[in-house]
Amino acid sequence: MAGLASLLLGDGRLPVGAYTYSAGLEPAVAAGLTRDRIPALLKARLHTAAVTEAAAAVLALRAAGRDPVDYGPVQRALAARTPAAPLREASATLGRGVQRLARRLDPGHPAVTALTGIRPRPLRPVALGALGAVMGVSEEELARGVVYDELQTIASAALKLLPGDPLDTVTWILDAEPHAAAAVAEALAVRSPAELPARTPPLTEQWALEHAQRERRLFLA
Amino acid sequence: MTAESAEPVDPTVVAVERDPSGRHIARELRPGSFLAPRPLRPSPDRLRIALVGTRAGLLAGDDLLLDISVGPGARLELVEPSGLVAYDHRGGTSRWRARVEVAEGGELHWDARPFVISSGARVERSMDVSLAAGARMLWRDTLVLGRSGERGGGVRARTHVTYDGCELLVEDLDLLDPDVRELPGILGPHRVIGAVTALGADPGGRPHPYRMALAGPGAQVRLLDTVAPAIEAELAAVWEDWRAPGGPVTPGLPVTNG
Repeated sequence: MAGLASLLLGDGRLPVGAYTYSAGLEPAVAAGLTRDRIPALLKARLHTAAVTEAAAAVLALRAAGRDPVDYGPVQRALAARTPAAPLREASATLGRGVQRLARRLDPGHPAVTALTGIRPRPLRPVALGALGAVMGVSEEELARGVVYDELQTIASAALKLLPGDPLDTVTWILDAEPHAAAAVAEALAVRSPAELPARTPPLTEQWALEHAQRERRLFLA
Repeated sequence: MTAESAEPVDPTVVAVERDPSGRHIARELRPGSFLAPRPLRPSPDRLRIALVGTRAGLLAGDDLLLDISVGPGARLELVEPSGLVAYDHRGGTSRWRARVEVAEGGELHWDARPFVISSGARVERSMDVSLAAGARMLWRDTLVLGRSGERGGGVRARTHVTYDGCELLVEDLDLLDPDVRELPGILGPHRVIGAVTALGADPGGRPHPYRMALAGPGAQVRLLDTVAPAIEAELAAVWEDWRAPGGPVTPGLPVTNG
């Protein structure tokens, strides 16, 4: 099943509510980002947020394979590395969609039942670790799925926010390959929640705070 | 990274306590290679210590180390009479490291002056803070990439704060490579990064558009700009607002993960 599962994980049509998320593109556009700078934004995300997200998902997948399953350390480590409350809230909202899918696939799986005890709600990478366990994907497939999803989220949000030739988006993603591969490798090398990378991008945080105060927005973050 | 034969590390040590009668005592004030602690006239409720620079600034191979500890119920205010400059390292690396421990009911205020990273400098900065339950810290710090007209050198600023044994704020601000840090969303065109950070308690105070409520007890306002003066004034206002005695302060609760 893992062959299809890893494709599903990176598929934007996976019903987890990801269409509500622009991975920071909408706040960036409101701050003046132009279409020609999207490849630079992708590179910035691959050096910062995407590494932390992918590494946290891998740590959660490992936690899901232990007995008993305890997501507490990775959830707390990620929260301490996410100082902007709107980004934690967006992550928890997206995590809920992932959790719902994992529960539907295998409600009795220990990786799924362990999510229910987490307060506040599981952040997205933690829920993705549980989903990965239920779908039987490998650490590498999960890390690559998270990193790819980050790129595709921005590329597809760009079609709405900065319309242009949709064929451009494929070039953006293929050109980001070396940075994406480095992000995946770095995420896989993290051994414990204490080592979870904390690459906060300061301007992204500011944009997220500005975005949270806006009344008219298409995406939650 | 170049291997340097760094001289032995000579830390600057500041350790304050409160004796059973409630009086503040400086248990240890030891000058280090770069900074000498000098007692200032104390406030009624806290000790005030100036960190006086004894060398021009940081060069390749330099290792500035600070050990600060505040005993149970004690209050310390660190004052920096002047900022710090890291000069062109000509290929080497320097380090700035602070280790801070604040015991139960203790409080540290540290209003740090700007740290300027000149072009050609490469600095590893680390701030390690351990707060016991009920301890608090208010910290202001500003990094300036380059002197006027410069693109600036590289700095990697790592911050690790625990409250009651749990991670409260962890950050690895990697600004070593100018091509990466100038990407959109990281720093873009900005060269100045300043913050006021309250740790161990919600500082109360007025709303601020860039206020970040941490997952655990604490908050941060971080500002970015292309030049220093504008954000210095605004950070000073946040500092005054958050340090105001008698403000609405929520004592630290156990760290949650929200």
